Amino acid sequence: MRDTQSSADEHNVAAFAQDNARYYETEFSKIQGKTGFTWSWNMMAAICGPLWGAARGVWGFFWIFLVLELFALVQVGRGLWGELGADQLARVERLEANIAKREAQAAELTAAGDVAGAAEKLKIADNLRNAAEKALDAANSASSAALTILLTGLVLLVALKLIEGLYANYAYEAQYLKWRSGQKVQSGLRRSGIWFGLVGLLAVWPLTLIRFTVAKPEEFVSTLTGGFLGERVTITEFPVGREYFSILAKKGDAGFDWLANNFGDLFDGVTASIRWVLDGLEVLLIQTPWPVVMFVTVVMALRLAGARVAIFTAASLAYLALMGLWELAMITVALIGAGAFLCVLIGVPLGIWFGKSKRAYAFAEPVLDFMQTMPAFVYLIPIIAFFGTGKPPGVLATLIFAMPPVIRLTALGMRGVPESTKEAAIAFGCSRKQLLFNVELPLALPSIMTGINQTILMALSMVVIASLIGAEGLGALILEALQYAAKGQGLLGGLAILFCAMVIDRIAQGAYRRSNRSN
Amino acid sequence: MSDDVITLDGVWKVFGMNADAAMAAIRDQGLGKPEVLKEFGCVIGIADVSFSVKRGEIFCVMGLSGSGKSTMVRHLNRLIEPTAGNINVLGNDMLGLSDNDLREIRARNIGMVFQHMALLPHRTVRDNVAFPLQVRGEPKSRRWEVSQKCLDRVNLTGYEDRFPSELSGGMQQRVGLARALASDPDVLLMDEPFSALDPLIRRQLQDQFMSLSAELNKTTVFITHDLDEAIRIGNRIAIMKDGRIVQIGTPEEIVTQPADDYVRDFVDGISKLKLVFAHSIMVPIGGYKPTRPVNFDESPRAHHGTDLDQLIDIATSTENVIIITGDDGADIGVVDRATLLKGIQGGKA
Repeated sequence: MRDTQSSADEHNVAAFAQDNARYYETEFSKIQGKTGFTWSWNMMAAICGPLWGAARGVWGFFWIFLVLELFALVQVGRGLWGELGADQLARVERLEANIAKREAQAAELTAAGDVAGAAEKLKIADNLRNAAEKALDAANSASSAALTILLTGLVLLVALKLIEGLYANYAYEAQYLKWRSGQKVQSGLRRSGIWFGLVGLLAVWPLTLIRFTVAKPEEFVSTLTGGFLGERVTITEFPVGREYFSILAKKGDAGFDWLANNFGDLFDGVTASIRWVLDGLEVLLIQTPWPVVMFVTVVMALRLAGARVAIFTAASLAYLALMGLWELAMITVALIGAGAFLCVLIGVPLGIWFGKSKRAYAFAEPVLDFMQTMPAFVYLIPIIAFFGTGKPPGVLATLIFAMPPVIRLTALGMRGVPESTKEAAIAFGCSRKQLLFNVELPLALPSIMTGINQTILMALSMVVIASLIGAEGLGALILEALQYAAKGQGLLGGLAILFCAMVIDRIAQGAYRRSNRSN
Repeated sequence: MSDDVITLDGVWKVFGMNADAAMAAIRDQGLGKPEVLKEFGCVIGIADVSFSVKRGEIFCVMGLSGSGKSTMVRHLNRLIEPTAGNINVLGNDMLGLSDNDLREIRARNIGMVFQHMALLPHRTVRDNVAFPLQVRGEPKSRRWEVSQKCLDRVNLTGYEDRFPSELSGGMQQRVGLARALASDPDVLLMDEPFSALDPLIRRQLQDQFMSLSAELNKTTVFITHDLDEAIRIGNRIAIMKDGRIVQIGTPEEIVTQPADDYVRDFVDGISKLKLVFAHSIMVPIGGYKPTRPVNFDESPRAHHGTDLDQLIDIATSTENVIIITGDDGADIGVVDRATLLKGIQGGKA
């Protein structure tokens, strides 16, 4: 077999396989010499199964066949010694005890002269007897299925061995190619691999086999291990109660209480500043007469986003007004507006900072993930503890959920500014401030605008949740509908929120597209 | 002071976390590039670069990619901080400058043109050109006036209100050039300005740049990977390899006396007709041994600064040898057919 070209260099099959090199040289050249499937039988792999994979470092092979062989062995075990009708037999026992009880009651009643009552009890006992007979049948047929299951398991096992033997050389050849290209994979046989494979088998197979084939696994295991496993350490359930959970939860309560007591002024300050923004917007949207607000909105849509969006806006506003949802809608928009405004106010500077400092971003990333993925109900609880209920806490909850996109996209935009453009600006004497305002921010603007748009839409989706802690508006309407299962009210309220969102989104996008075109 | 505008003295740049330790090791133990990479994980950008550029001179720096030429030019306006050495531009010790003074020098005295133009896509051509002036805090009227003048100079009149994306590559680079000229700097740094352009446009821009620089007389450091370009444009050429300067000289010196095989490889592909002059191939008149009788009196005369191209023209019009005269008109050497042919072939007889 010295005629293969690859045997000349140090990356040849012999150097890879080490043990049994001659065999693998032949088999690999057989595999590589054909495009389709080739019969390449590996006896070691067929006999040892997963352990062959462990020894050769083919860990994918090891884990897959560890699980598959275990499945086959469970079937064999069930067929050989599994008590298949056990649960049905237990039911029969229970039923018979019940029948005996009823019959005793019937005898008592007969003795007391209540014939009708006794007949009633006997009838129940009859019914129970029928059920018991059925259960017995089921148990018998289950145990007669044992042979079928055993055969299935054996056939499966043989098939798996065949697949292992035929597939092993393919898997090993793939690993050889990886090894050649310098990726860190094992070459040759390793004793440590065999040991690890054995430990893996012992950790997985015995307990699983017992669990699925023995009727009372806990008792069986405890007799095997002298009472250690199964009795002191249960195997079907994790042997720990909920005591750690409740201890930590109490600690958490205490922590939040402490924060609420000691930083009350700070939280009040936050609430006050949010309320200030909110009040401003509410005056603008609610106290201003509705014709003015409508007129300004439609004209804005026309100027910024064109006639089509203006018509859509007018229709949406008409819907809100005709349904009598005008005030609620304006409250909602004020809520979202305040949330989005604060998101941008806080998020854009943060995004600029994270875009410039890789380290800061590395710290912020998990926090942002947390803000976006943590279910809103979780942070609603501390928000109520710190800030009470009402609109400002609702805005705060919106902030937590809706701020990440604007931060992320601002940072992304900042990092996307070409290094060469920044360098040129610095070469012409730009200070950091000039660089930020003349180069970085303008070039990052498209990304920042996308972030703001996303933030607005996410703020809208928080409306209903914010209403849970007392923020009024369309969200509260829907929450009410939910409580009374008022389907129509829910639908109309949902449509109102949808229209609000679409109007804001279309106007913002139109405005942005317009400013883009003029550039 | 001499009229040296730019002076670099023993400038090193070592990239990496342990740059200072690596620098000390290079100094003390004379470590080479591979050892520094292995022991300190540092890369040597430029190594012990020293040269000076005179006022009004066009100084070309030529080298392959990775030879450190772009790194070197960024030291001149301290876009990159050197690890060791001294840099003096226009009498300023660049390393001693405060941030403010450095910005001031960049905005007023040093203009730069980049390989990839690096224009601001959200600004019009006019505002791009006026950018250095805006940075300096000039009012809009002055900015517009100056940028108009610069755009006229690079033949972009009429494109003031376009955006860079609407312009071709060659035009964009002319905007880049206009921007560099806008602050009327004393020094121009050109980092492979024409490399990204196609050959025809490149030649056009080279011509335009040469006529501009003849007119404006700016001291220029011109980076290129193209020896042809360096020879066309440069008064002097420095050739870089692995961060070091291997040779500095006039185009003729580079072509006729390459310092090593690396330079010779470059020079081999270059036509020498316009670069080699009579004085470097002629045989001194005293040592000339004619192979056949010649009549010196009827021979054509040529100045010693005549290039090979012109010498060929003369040689084809006469049967005689060519007499080379000095600056004072005296006969100093002889060029015959054989000498001329050898000169064309090898650059040096």
